[in-house]
Amino acid sequence: MLRALQRRLIWPLAIVVPACAAAWSWDRLESAGSQDGPGASVLYLPSGRYLKAASLGFPEVLADAIYIWSIQYYSNYTAADRFAYLDHIYSGVITELDPHYVDPYLIGSLIMSTEAGDHEMALRLLDKGIAANPHEWILPFEAGFTCYNDIKDFQRAAAYFEKAIANPEAPGAIRRMHAEMFNKLGDKRASLDYWLEVHETADDAYVEDISWRHVHDLRIEIDLQTLREALEAWKSSPRGAGQYPQSLLELVRAGVISREPIDPDGVAYAYDPATGQVRSASPFRLYRRGPA
Amino acid sequence: MSVPQPVLEIAGLRKSYKGHLSIGRREVIKGLDLTIQPGEVFGLLGQNGSGKTTTLKMILSLIFPDAGRISLFGTDYRSVAHRHRIGFLPENPWFYEYLTGREFLDFYGQLFGYGRAERSARAEAVLARVGMSDRAGLPLRKYSKGMLQRIGMAQALINDPEFVILDEPMSGLDPIGRREFRDIILDLKRRGRTIFFSSHILSDAEAICDRVGILKDGRIGVEGRLADLLSPAVRSWEVMYAGPPFAQLMSVAAGGDGGCQLLSDRGPESLVAVHDEKVLSKLLDSIRTQGGRLISVSARRETLEDLYVKEVSGR
Amino acid sequence: MKIMAIAANTFKEAIRDRILYLLLAFAILMIGASRLLSLMTVGSEEKIVKDIGLASIALFGVAVAIFVGVGLVFKEIEKRTVYTLVSKPIRRSQFILGKYCGLVLVLAVNLAVMTAVFYLVLIQRGWMDWRLTGAIWLTFIELMLVTAIAILFSSFSTPILSSLFTVTFFIIGHLSWGLRLMADKVEGVAAKFLCEFFYRVLPNLELLNMRGRAVHGLELPESQMAFATLYGLSYTAVLLALAVATFRRRDFL
Repeated sequence: MLRALQRRLIWPLAIVVPACAAAWSWDRLESAGSQDGPGASVLYLPSGRYLKAASLGFPEVLADAIYIWSIQYYSNYTAADRFAYLDHIYSGVITELDPHYVDPYLIGSLIMSTEAGDHEMALRLLDKGIAANPHEWILPFEAGFTCYNDIKDFQRAAAYFEKAIANPEAPGAIRRMHAEMFNKLGDKRASLDYWLEVHETADDAYVEDISWRHVHDLRIEIDLQTLREALEAWKSSPRGAGQYPQSLLELVRAGVISREPIDPDGVAYAYDPATGQVRSASPFRLYRRGPA
Repeated sequence: MSVPQPVLEIAGLRKSYKGHLSIGRREVIKGLDLTIQPGEVFGLLGQNGSGKTTTLKMILSLIFPDAGRISLFGTDYRSVAHRHRIGFLPENPWFYEYLTGREFLDFYGQLFGYGRAERSARAEAVLARVGMSDRAGLPLRKYSKGMLQRIGMAQALINDPEFVILDEPMSGLDPIGRREFRDIILDLKRRGRTIFFSSHILSDAEAICDRVGILKDGRIGVEGRLADLLSPAVRSWEVMYAGPPFAQLMSVAAGGDGGCQLLSDRGPESLVAVHDEKVLSKLLDSIRTQGGRLISVSARRETLEDLYVKEVSGR
Repeated sequence: MKIMAIAANTFKEAIRDRILYLLLAFAILMIGASRLLSLMTVGSEEKIVKDIGLASIALFGVAVAIFVGVGLVFKEIEKRTVYTLVSKPIRRSQFILGKYCGLVLVLAVNLAVMTAVFYLVLIQRGWMDWRLTGAIWLTFIELMLVTAIAILFSSFSTPILSSLFTVTFFIIGHLSWGLRLMADKVEGVAAKFLCEFFYRVLPNLELLNMRGRAVHGLELPESQMAFATLYGLSYTAVLLALAVATFRRRDFL
């Protein structure tokens, strides 16, 4: 009787017991490994140059796979020290496997900049992308934007934007940003030149309007600066003898400035001889300038 | 009157197989000579592994000999043109599983360069000869061993060859199949074709061959017409009788000596073998005197089996 | 022609081999799955679908070349169908070439089906780029070459070894540039010579790989396509000549 029972139990037991053991150990392993994020072992892949060999003629597919993995991995916030291999993954692996794959440069630099806070790393990655894909406008654009927005290095931003606009497909907004960088740098004359270009080549009403506003305001600012310099020069010159001139026309007569200064709206600048202050009678067209 | 050219002539054929890696060569055919005349049926006999199949394969250029000369129809055997006049059925044939019998024969017909109509006609003709006309539409993988053997014979005959080479053609056939194959071979012989087959089933060889050769130690040791090879002398007699038990007869007949041998003792009848003529007459007398009833006496001459066993197991 | 008869027969045989359908199903599955996979990405789905599609076509083509191709010749010899065949008035060269042509036909059909599925997926999403055909054409040439390798090895070796050797040559074929690197880095005249020698002699399958370029929409210059095709076909011809030479002297034990 007992023997019969034994025989009937043996098969279910032979399956159930090992299955339980497997399930339990799987569970323990899963929970132990989960902190590291999904597929964390991919972090330790060798550099792309060696992986290229392993891919046997399919480096692009491998790049796709690792890229997709990286999205999942970097979306997971529980892994400790998760940015440790960030540069390696994007710069050393994915973009080595497929240098022409644009998305990793963009997403990688985004993660580096926004999440890991390392802007220089992001820029290095984008530089790599630009070198491999000189015809992609979006890469230098991203780099320029990072410089402008995150590092506030308007010089570098301008250089990047210039690369971007070399591509005729680049959106017009980049040219406007490029022009504005010079303004930020304080080089209003250069800014004006570029804004003029934008205005001349504008093919829709919005662009025409906005570029005109910039041109307008920059002209005023440049004029005001020129006038202020001229006034100070007058004051400290023997002719002025420590006094500001009575009117701006005096400056014209003296040949200091070439013509009577009027602003782009055709209105003369307002001058107070007592204080030597010169202002624009017309308001600035861009609200951010504040009062003139 | 010119002597007809032999269909097949082999002289000094040698073949050895490379052993596995370190173990050395094994010479299988050690200087084989053979001639087959047109219109005869020749049986190549020998133990398993004696090299019968090897010899056949060499004739067909499936294997290349180490030394020796083979000529077919008087010219070098390697010419592809010969294959138009030859048909071959290998041992345990296997064919493309997914083709039907007809498609298979059609494919082989293409290899001979026959046009569509001719292929079809020939296929139907050979199918009728081997008795497979009604089952030729089945895919080959569904064929039984016997059916495969028949379709194999069909493909061997599709080009109406002068020289037919068969390797163990009867193997795996049931008695009816064997009878039918025998008839096909005899029919081929009647039409003047030459047949060369290998076998280790002696009864088949005895029934259909004109000449046999026994392959031993890589050579054909014994070869010739059956009538010439088998000694006509009577070797022993078999006596069947009913009556007194054998022991009783023995003491009287042989004088307690040998010379007699009880072969079987089934109920009232006994079968005794006698090797000596004198002992025979004594035994016959003894049966009569002891009140027994003689049923039969038959003389046994040398059979092919006797010859074969003698040849193969060494003198 | 007798070669065509054997090719047709080989085609019929391979077409009924179930491995073929298994592989085809996998390929189609992959192309379909690539659509799902592309949902996991941020950015261009198109690239992922195209990459996986081309890779599937190439890899499953190679798998068919190896598994079906190697098996074909061996099966004939093992199952002794070759005995009756070779005893008919055909040359051994015709037999081997017929087998090869039949197999290439199978590959072509296989490739055509996979390509059709692939293109359907692309057209449906509006990602179709007819320049991909150039890359697929060269992939076909690559498959012809690999098949020739498989036939060469299976004319004298067992299926397992033949498969291994063919896979090895496929791998080496894609690592040719590694030999070039080695030739530069290694020291010693003899070693350098060997590296250079193998670099030139072994098949360089990367020359037939324009898949990455096609996906990125880069130029596939006609002259390069022509030369790549010529390289692939002539290398294949050499391999077939070797296969015929080996097969001619082979004992069918």
